[in-house]
Order: sequence, then structure tokens, then C-alpha cells
Amino acid sequence: MNRRNVRCALSALLAVAMAAPSLLAQGPDPLAKLDTASRRMVQSLIDSARAEGLPTQPVISKAQEGVSKHVSGPVIARVVRTVFLSLRQARATLGSGANRDELTAGAAALQAGIPAAALIDLRHAGRGKSITVPLVVLADLVTRGVPRDTASRAILQLWQGGAGDADLLGLPRAVEQDIVSGAAPGDALLNRARTIPIRLPPAKVPE
Amino acid sequence: MFELKPSTAVLAIGLVLLIPQHEASAQIVSRLEAGGLMSSTPGFLPASAISLTPDVRYDGQVLKVSARGSAWINGQSWQLADGQVSASVTTPTRHHLSAQLIGNASRAYYDELNQNEQIDAEARVHLVFSQKGGLWLETGVARPWRVAVVSAVDVAGAGAWTQLGGATLTGTYTNFAFTKIASSKDSTGAAQACSTQTDNNSCLRQSHFSDVQGTVHWEKSFFEINAQTGYRFGDNNDVTPDSRRWASASAVVWLSSDMAVVVGGGRQPANPARGLPARNYANLGVMLAAWPAMTEGAVPIEARASAISKFDISSAGTSLERVQVHIAGVQSVDVMGDFTDWEPVAMVQRGRDLWEALVPIGAGVHQLNVRVDGGKWQPPPGAPTMRDGFNGEVGVLVIR
Repeated sequence: MNRRNVRCALSALLAVAMAAPSLLAQGPDPLAKLDTASRRMVQSLIDSARAEGLPTQPVISKAQEGVSKHVSGPVIARVVRTVFLSLRQARATLGSGANRDELTAGAAALQAGIPAAALIDLRHAGRGKSITVPLVVLADLVTRGVPRDTASRAILQLWQGGAGDADLLGLPRAVEQDIVSGAAPGDALLNRARTIPIRLPPAKVPE
Repeated sequence: MFELKPSTAVLAIGLVLLIPQHEASAQIVSRLEAGGLMSSTPGFLPASAISLTPDVRYDGQVLKVSARGSAWINGQSWQLADGQVSASVTTPTRHHLSAQLIGNASRAYYDELNQNEQIDAEARVHLVFSQKGGLWLETGVARPWRVAVVSAVDVAGAGAWTQLGGATLTGTYTNFAFTKIASSKDSTGAAQACSTQTDNNSCLRQSHFSDVQGTVHWEKSFFEINAQTGYRFGDNNDVTPDSRRWASASAVVWLSSDMAVVVGGGRQPANPARGLPARNYANLGVMLAAWPAMTEGAVPIEARASAISKFDISSAGTSLERVQVHIAGVQSVDVMGDFTDWEPVAMVQRGRDLWEALVPIGAGVHQLNVRVDGGKWQPPPGAPTMRDGFNGEVGVLVIR
């Protein structure tokens, strides 16, 4: 094989190597990379969510996340099913008036092991306010090792006391710092919770 | 007259299929280095000059373009010296493989006698292992002007790289083959091995030599070091004694995100294909760097996440959020979340320790991860977290 033929062969090989990824690129179907059985399972969960009036995006998103993190199809299907069941339980717990964000955050809290009763308490204490942020923070604290009951009681007390979203969203970082410094997770939360000023609505002046 | 060869056509078709509608991520960096340069070439007096070296670089995931030049003031007048324009197109990595086409046009200037121009093109096939190392094979061709080389220079080689801590180690083997006009006899009067005799004193000679070179790039915080050393294989007709071995190094000390002190020196081997001699050099200068901000109209931009010192998110207009990560001494930072359909988005370096991406995040609760240097996906620091169900964690954002 002379030099020119070698060059042509290398050029052709290169061109094929360059073109192949474009030609093989996956289409817009977010579930295209799942195996057939897992894909069927996930699709049925999406259909079920849609039929029950639950938000489908968290279900689809969890499947996409699993694919992107190179998780096997059966594991993705199992986790997506957990998300679906959590969404269903969150709506049963928070009521049909719960918005999509509350359902998503509620499902995350339930997956973290927060008892449904804690969600109901937050809902009642919220005086009509969105409980999305308390639920997000609650799930975070439990993920960091704070005992569920301790976390549930502390967040409920802060919420009843009028703590704002910014106060609550600052808790995870502060608690994490204390945990890294050696504090027990539950103690870290209780200590930090004491530093948040209570902002109860002003009492009604008797007429 | 330009002759369209089958290989050229095949490459052109490959390029058309490859180039996407737009770059998913891109960044522009411009630098200006000003300083003093001293060099010495065998047979010539040492020279010193004040140099200005502008450098503009566009880095996309697929397309990379760079332009670099230098001007020297030597005595009373400015002299346009070295310059290079480069472009490369790289395919996305699939099954650990990617392909790259590289084109360069360059001008080299040592002094009045040693200067010329060259264009060259290379094709590489890369094998990448989890962003921590890889191999490549390359083949290419170069065409210098104003030298005794009468054919294109065939280039073939291979390389390997790996990342160890904050260092990137690279090893390359490159073979060069070309035809040049040479003297019929060497310095001892012995006849040279020639392919064609052109006249009584000169002939056409097939030359080839091979370079083995190792480089290391290390950076930590505000400090960067680049060093390289190499050895050249080839017979004495093609390789001069002063080009058998070489070594050089440079250091960059960043005084701020936009300004650094640069110092370097060493030996550059001869470039027989371009007729350029070996030389020793030393330089000292100040480098100014600009990391232009992205605009809202731009396409959304584009191993150790725990080393991220700060994570910020702020509004960047009506539909985009500006995600910023502060971390130094890394090669890449990616972000992904439900707002990207969990497709990784490469962040753009906006400063020495600042990485940024503009992403469309609507109001609501969102989950996201970041990763550094292709490492593990982790929640960004400071954000609430939750388990992702896949033995990892995600960060949670609440956008109002």
C-alpha cells in the first residue's frame, strides 16, 4: 500500500469516526436510552401520573437523571416508581390544593422518611402560605443525619413562629458547618434554630 | 492549481456532517503579554527585545479557534515576529472515542535570516478514559515556505496524557519525513545519501527524524508551571547535536484574576523542516487576561466538587439564571439538573477561580448537581440537599 493509499484510508477512517456520533445521536425521546422493559415500566408510571392529575415532570426528570448518571434501567424504573408513589402520597397528605412545588417537595420529604403527620402539621401551621421551603429544608436536614422527629419538631416550631424562607434556607449550611466541626446533627439543628428570631404576627389589640 | 483529491472530499463530507447548528458551550479568552525576551542562536550574537504578545482564544466543545502573535521592539523599530492562527474541530466523545481535525497557519521569526511561514493540518483520533487520561494517534501534513524543503512534511505520531492531582502529564512521539535540498557532500567531503542529484553540489535528500517529548502542566491556586523535555532520534545529517536534547519551563503567578507575572526559559530544538536553528531563550513579562462576560442573547453556556468554595445563583434576565461556581486549579466544571433535562452543561471559566453558566431555570423547585474535572456528580455547596435514589445526592433550588 503506497503512501497515497494510506492517506486516503486514514482520511476515510477519520471521516467515518467524525460523522458516526452525529448520525448515531439519540433523538429527543428522554427515555430512548432505557432498555425496553424499563422503558415500558417508566412510561406506564408517567401515564399513571398523568391520569391521576399528578405532575409528570418529576417522574420524567428522575428517569433522565438516572440515564445521565449511567444507572441501570431496572434501578431507574424502581426509583421512578418510588417518586411516583411519593407524589401520590404527598397529594393524599397535603390535599388536592397543593401546588406542583409543594407536591414535589412533599414527595422528597416523604422519601427522606419524614412521617406524613409532619407534613400535615406544617400545612395547618402555614396559615395558607406555601410550605415548599419548610419541606425542602426538612428533607435536607434528615439527609444530613438529623433525627426525623427532631427535625420535624424544630422546623414546625420555626414555621409556627413566623420564620421566613430565607431563615429556613440558611439552616442547612449552618447545620452542616456545625456537624463538620463535630456537633451531633440533632444538637446542631437545635442550636442553630435558637438563633433564628421568632416573628409571630402581632397580636390583635382587644377593642 | 488546486487539485481536489478523494481524501479531501471525504474529509469535507465528514466535516459537514460533524459541524452542529451552534455551539452548546463556548468561551472567549483574550490575553496580552508584555515583557522582555532574550535569545541566543549558535553563530549569532545574543539578542534581546521587548515583546508584546496578544492571544485570543475561542473555546467551544466542538470548535476551537485561537490567534496569537508577537511584536518585538528591537532598537528603534517594531518588528512583527511570530504569529499563529489555529482552528480545530472535535467530535463529541462516543464510546470513549472522538476525532479531531486541526489546522494551523504560522509564521516563525528568529531574525532576518531565520524566518518563514508554514501551514499544516493534522487529524487525530482520541481514546479518552473518564476525563482522567487518554491516548491519541495522529497523522498530518505541513507545508513550509522559504526553506530548502521541497516537499510537504509528513507527520505521524501518538501521544498519551493523564491527570495526577493537579498535574497533567503528556507524552508524545512524533515522526517527521520530508524531502529537502542538501549539499552533495558532508563537512568531511564524504558523499551524502541522495535520492536525486540536482547539480554537482546539491541533491534531493529524504530526511526524517523523530521527537519524543514529555510535558507537565501543574497548577494550584494562583500558581501554574509548564515544563517540557525531549529527545530527538535521527542521523547526524538530519539532527544537529544541539537539538538532540532540550528542555524548557515557564511559570505563571496570578496576582489577580486578570493579571499574572510570567517567567520562563530553556532551549528550543531546531526545526529542520522549517530551517530554523536551535536557540536558548529566557523571558519575563506581565500578562493581562480578559474573560468577557456572556450576554443574555448568547447561547446558554456552556475532581472535586467538594473543593468548590462558593456557589451562587442569580437572575440574568427574564428567562435565564446565572450559575457561578468558585473553584481554582481545575480543568472543567459541569452543571446539570432538571432544567437541562439532566444533560451536562459545561461551565465557562470567567476568571482564575470563577466558572459560570447561563441556564434557563423557571420558578419552582429544582434539583441539580455539579461536577469538577469529570468527577462525581455532587450537590453544590450551601444548597439544601436530598438523596437522589441512585446512591448520591442532589442539590435543591427554590426559584421564586
